[in-house]
This record gives sequence, structure tokens and C-alpha cells, in this order.
Amino acid sequence: MRKILAVVRREFVERVRTKWFWIGTVLGPLFFGGMILVRLLNGEHSGVERRVAVIDQTTGGTGARLVDGLSASLERFHFVRVPTSPRAVDSLTNVVIAKDLDGFLLVSDSTLDDGSVEYRGSNVSSLADMEELRSTLGRQVFAVRLERHGIDPAVVRDAELTVAMATHKIRGTKVTGESGEQAFTLSFAMAIILFLAIVLYGVNVMSSVLEEKTTRIVEVLVSSLRPFELMLGKVLGAGAVGIVQLTVWLLSVKVLAGQQERLAAWVGVDHTGAQAPALVLPQVPATTMAVFVVYFLLGYFLYAAVFAAVGAISGTEQEARQAQTPVTLLLMVPYLSVFAILNDPNSISARWFTFVPFWSPVAAPVRWSAAPIPPAELATSILILLLSVLLVTWVAARIYRVGILMTGKRPSAREIIRWVRAG
Amino acid sequence: MAASILVVDRVTKRFSGHTAVDGLSLDVPPGVIFGLLGPNGAGKTTTIRMIMNITIPDEGSVRLFNGTGTARDHADRIGFLPEERGLYPKMRVLDVLLFLAEMRGMDRRTARSRALEWLDRLGLSDWRSRRVSELSKGMQQKVQFASSLLHDPDLVIFDEPFSGLDPVNAEVMRETVLDLRRRGKTILFSTQIMEHAEKLCDHICIIARGKKLVDDSLTQVKESYSGRHLIVAFDGSQGGAAAVFADRRLVAGLQDFGAYAEVELAQGADAQDVLKSLVSSGARLSRFELAAPSLHTIFVGLVGPDAARPGAVTHA
Repeated sequence: MRKILAVVRREFVERVRTKWFWIGTVLGPLFFGGMILVRLLNGEHSGVERRVAVIDQTTGGTGARLVDGLSASLERFHFVRVPTSPRAVDSLTNVVIAKDLDGFLLVSDSTLDDGSVEYRGSNVSSLADMEELRSTLGRQVFAVRLERHGIDPAVVRDAELTVAMATHKIRGTKVTGESGEQAFTLSFAMAIILFLAIVLYGVNVMSSVLEEKTTRIVEVLVSSLRPFELMLGKVLGAGAVGIVQLTVWLLSVKVLAGQQERLAAWVGVDHTGAQAPALVLPQVPATTMAVFVVYFLLGYFLYAAVFAAVGAISGTEQEARQAQTPVTLLLMVPYLSVFAILNDPNSISARWFTFVPFWSPVAAPVRWSAAPIPPAELATSILILLLSVLLVTWVAARIYRVGILMTGKRPSAREIIRWVRAG
Repeated sequence: MAASILVVDRVTKRFSGHTAVDGLSLDVPPGVIFGLLGPNGAGKTTTIRMIMNITIPDEGSVRLFNGTGTARDHADRIGFLPEERGLYPKMRVLDVLLFLAEMRGMDRRTARSRALEWLDRLGLSDWRSRRVSELSKGMQQKVQFASSLLHDPDLVIFDEPFSGLDPVNAEVMRETVLDLRRRGKTILFSTQIMEHAEKLCDHICIIARGKKLVDDSLTQVKESYSGRHLIVAFDGSQGGAAAVFADRRLVAGLQDFGAYAEVELAQGADAQDVLKSLVSSGARLSRFELAAPSLHTIFVGLVGPDAARPGAVTHA
């Protein structure tokens, strides 16, 4: 037992002493801070003024009517009506290229007949700009068409209303303060963290196994403690590093999210007053946190054992990198299925993801965050995962035991099966 | 005689295609320096790995300290220096020593003071906070050496401890090994350099192709070969010495070391006849003596000249 603790301690201390640990630990908060900044700057960006020309190809003055309506409802856009001419498109294109104009709309009679309209500009990739322009133009077209049918323009104006829909998640029996966007952010962030953490720390176990194997120091070690004890110590040590790093990351997220005002002031974005902070941290219920932790730990043990075996059968870093790819891809499956799971958390496929042991560590917490998993299903999922951890560790330990003392070429699949069967 | 510290009982280990160790038995009494000698591929390392429980023998058994339990169970009493030495390259010297001592069941405090003592003794005190990878190969070997002795084991097993060491460091190790024996410890080491074995060992076992050829105390081995060897050195002209040495009726084998040659007499040949023949062939002799053969000569005679370590020139 004391020897296992010594292995755990060595694994932990040596890993924490590397520069990669510190780079990784600092990179997390930097990444998150960057995310907040991007949102702050984007927030300001959506307030930027736009200059847009409208080439009026309509007949009967509806073009002017539309431009007036647009100007009245969209304050940050400046609209200029340009009568159509054969060279209008070309010359306006040049003005856009010269950056004296953000873009131009081509409005014609068909805009009012079948709703078709064209916009050319340098800002088409701004989803906010395009959506605002499209919906506002839509309302103007709607109003003009109503007026055509003899409705009083005053009535039309009075009927105009933009609906702002707030989304709130219902979880269990109560309505949470969580918005749809926040719920999605939480689920997606959990998937990223689970995937990254399991692969990252699993690969650490692998490279540590490989180091002992290639330096042959493992011969001294296995003459002092059982290979299984050595493997266990490694898995626990690398896992402890993971938990420390994750804690640092999560705490930094909390601290940074509370400092958004300061961040905003620091980058010179006016971010005071009634405006909401750029990034609202989703509330994480205790149960979600518990599910997350349980699946992270079990998932880590499952994959760390596999990575330890992969390190043991490899002779070089390069071989190990090749051999670990299928393992990483296996965990990639639930990661790539996050959207599908969130879309319908109770679908047949989402349930399958909850039960398959190599997938559930990522899939189950994501599904849980979207909708509570029935207790029986959750218990079954955890039980399957737990049994898999035990079985996989048993198999991996047998491969590890023989593999770490092997030299020469990588063993064939048949040889590995023989190692596992040999008592 | 005291009960044996290590008994290897008819162990056999086969690898795909060949038998590395073939029914080998060893009996190591306490307090001796035991040399396991043999050419490359003789099965020395495989034998040591089986003793250390790193490889499991296909047949036979290993008994340690006169009781049950594998080398792992006796980890606190055994010091082990493997052939392919390895330390964690990125760890600091002192940390490696502490960790390996913990593996041998020591607590960190005692390990620390012992490690500092050893580093001092081996002249590595200034290097204790350096990473292992910054040390020269010889220094790394000394660190490894210290790591195998830190827990003051009763039985020490060294696989090729002298390979790759410069003469100064080899001397440090030799002194340490002798000191261990003075303190009643038992040392088993393998080597293919006979000079080291000859200077250190009380008991030798020569193996080749996994089988035992000789297993006796060094004095016994040398005695059984004495009276059959001549040391011959020339003073200038060798005359027709080559022809005399080639005469199978007089000379069975020759080890030419340059400055002198060791001659093994043919069966029934008389040393006086060799002397006569040499003198009459015109050779000028500066030395001609009946001597106990060197271990090297015995070794080459047993395992064949092909197996001799590189460097020794041999004429059949």
C-alpha cells in the first residue's frame, strides 16, 4: 500500500513539475477569458453603424416607402435610396470595395410580390446584421402589402410589434432561471471538458508507462511491487493531476465570469447599465454536478486502463501514438453526437449512448443536463460502466504485466489475447 | 556450512526457437561474492531475471533466504542492478533515489539521509538537484548503483556492473563490492570480463548456451588447471617460437597477450621439452614460468575462442 502511494506521489509531483502542466493550467482560464472578450467585443460590434444603399427598381414609389420604413425602424442602419440605372450595381460595388458603404439592397417589384430581395455587401457574414435587415424589411413589405389591400397605414403601424421570446428550462417539476442558450452552453461545455480531460489524462498514463518501459526502469519496479499495483498507482496519480487541473479551470471560470465588468472596462467596451453581462454562467444543479463527477471518474478509470495497456504494448512514442488513435476515436463518438442527444434526450439513440460503457462517460452527463434520465436507466448505466471499469482494468492489467517487460516488435493481437488468457 | 541465501534449482527458460537457460542450478552461500560468468547469450541475464521474478522459469524454481516468497516479497532485502540500466531521465537525482528506496520499502526520511550519504560517497553531492538526463553515463550508473544499495540489502544482484565504467569508477564499485562482503552481505554479479571476476569472486560459475560448465570456488578452479600452463615472454627475437607453439604434441593452446603469452601444455607434454625447443629455435626468452592460468585462459579454453571478449588475440 505504501509503495502504491509512493507511485501515486511520484506520478503527481513529476507531472505537476513539468512546464506542460502549467501551460495547460494557465491556458484554460486564458481560453475562457478570451471567450468572454470575444463576446464583449461582439456585443459592441452589433451596435456598429451600417451604411446601406437601396437600389430602387420598383415602380410607383414603393421603393421610397420601404426605405422610409427601414430608416424609421433600424436606427443603426443609414439607408440611402439610389434610383436604378444600368451602372448602379457596378458603381455601388466599387463604393463597397472602397469601404465607403457596407452594402446595398436590390429592391424590385417582385420583392413585394414574392418576397425576393438581394443584398450584396462586405458584412454578409454578420448573422446579426442579416437577420435584422431581413426581418425589418419583411415587416415593411408586410405593411406595404396590407396598405395595398386598403388597410389604414396607421392601423398597420399600430399592429407592428417585435416579439422578444425568453426561454426558460423546465427541469423536473420546477422552472429554472436557465435560458435555452445557457442550457446548451452547459451541455456542450461538459462534453468538451469530459472528452478533453479523459483523453488528456489517459494519454498521460500512457506516456508514463512508456517511459518506464523504454528506460527499462520497470524491471527494477516490478521486482519491488506487483505490476497491477504499479499500474494502479499511475492511474491514480495522473487522475489526481487531472482533478487539480479541472478544479483550477472551473474556479477560474467562476472568477472570470464575475469579473466581466472589469474585463469590459479593460478592453474599453462600454458595458455598464442595464445591459446583461456578456456571458451568463449557467446554474449547475448539484445533481448535475454529481452526475458529471461520477461519470468523469469512471470514464477516466476506464480509458486510463486502456491507455496503460496501449503504452505497455508499444515500443516507442510513435507506435503509442498510432495505437492510441482508435481509443481516442472511440470516445469521439459520443462527443460528436452531442447535438443529436441534446435535440432529443429521450430518443432511442440517446438511450443507447447512455448504456454503452465506452460512450456513456460523455453521453450520459450531456443527456442528463438536457433532461433528467429516469433513475432506473441512470443506475443501469452507472452499473454497466462500473462493471466495465473492473473488467477492462482486469484485462488491461494482464496485458500491461507482460507488455512492460517485452522488448522488440509490437505484439500481434493473437499474442495479446494469449497474455490475457494466461493465468 | 550456513544455509544458502539463494538456490536456483534446475531452472529452464525457453524463448521461441531457443533455450536460453537449460536446467541450471546455482547455490549461493551467504557472505560470498559469486560470479556468474559466460559469453554473450549464455543466459546470464535470463538467469538473473528469473531470480528477480521478472521472468517466470518454464521449469525449476528459485528459493531465496531459505524460505518461500519471490524476490518481490523480499524486495527490502535484495538490491538489484539490471543490465539495461534506466532511471527516469527527467527526474532529479535525489528524487529518483528516494522513490526507488520507497519501492524497496524504506520510509522517506531514512531514505533521504542514506541517499545523501551515498551521493557524497560517490562524489555526486553537487548533482543531487540536477535532472538525471544532465548526468554523464558513468554518473548515471553510479546513481543506479547507489539506488540498488540504499536500503542496505543482504543480497545484491548486479547484472554486468562494470560494463561502460571507466577504470576510476570501476575501482569505486570494486571497493564497494568488497566492502559489502566485509559487512557480511552476499553479492552475485554477472560479467564477461574475467579480470573483474578474478579480482573479486570467491566463487564462480561459468555458463555457456544456458548450461553450466564450471561451478566452484575460484581457488579450486585455478588449482585444477594449474601446472598445465606456462607464461612465456620474449626478449627481442622470437626465433622459431611460432613453429614450437604450433606443435600439437607440445602445445594445446595459446593466449598471446602481446607482452607475454600463456601456453597451455598438450596432454603428456613436459614443460622442459617446450623450453628446449624454444631455446634451440633461437628464441630469446625473458620469462618462462609454470603458472596458474588466468581465469581468462580457463574461460577461453572452456567456451572456445569465439566467445572470448573482444580485445584478446587468440591463436589455436
